[in-house]
Amino acid sequence: MPAGRYRSRTLRRVYKRTPGNKVKLVYKKRKPSKAQCAGCGSDLKGTFRGRVPVMMNLPKTKKRPERPYGGVLCSRCARRKIILASRQ
Amino acid sequence: MIEIGRLCVKIAGRDSGLKCVVVDDLGKGFVLIDGQTRRRKCNMMHLEPLNEILKIKKNASHDEVVKELKKLKIEVVEKKGKKKKTEKPVKQRKKKEAPAKEEAPAKGAKEKTAAKKEAPKKKQEKKKSK
Repeated sequence: MPAGRYRSRTLRRVYKRTPGNKVKLVYKKRKPSKAQCAGCGSDLKGTFRGRVPVMMNLPKTKKRPERPYGGVLCSRCARRKIILASRQ
Repeated sequence: MIEIGRLCVKIAGRDSGLKCVVVDDLGKGFVLIDGQTRRRKCNMMHLEPLNEILKIKKNASHDEVVKELKKLKIEVVEKKGKKKKTEKPVKQRKKKEAPAKEEAPAKGAKEKTAAKKEAPKKKQEKKKSK
């Protein structure tokens, strides 16, 4: 029976092989939810999902698309916004 | 709608939101653009045409496009290109020098060197005598 704090499913379970050739259950934090478009709310493509220590070691270009509003708006919403701005 | 000289806004990719001019028609829905964006082939669907048309020739150079855009008060910021990599200096192995053989100098050379060494001594003696 796992300890009380591990009995909920807030932490994910990972089986890891130890250097002593034993399989052990390790509890790890779950990945954050997917980034969503600020315009339409759909899931953003090309954005990285990971915990902070992983994200910290990633370059900026791998975290979001390299275009205006990249990582904030989806391509469709960004395109619409640029077209509207150009027509004014 | 999209002809040579047409001012457009790029709406897709990393250059989106920047203004450009159609420089050439490449066919099959593709055009060559230049201006605030990079000079590159572009799908017409990724361009939003504006009202202005610039007077430029087909395949006009980047400088000509920039000059025409300046008239419309659209400034083009030139990005610094990548620096060319300089070749690394290659170390050359030092060749082992063979021990120099002591050659017996020629007779004439020996006499000359001896004469040179004696010459300053003679001058000093002359000075002392004075």
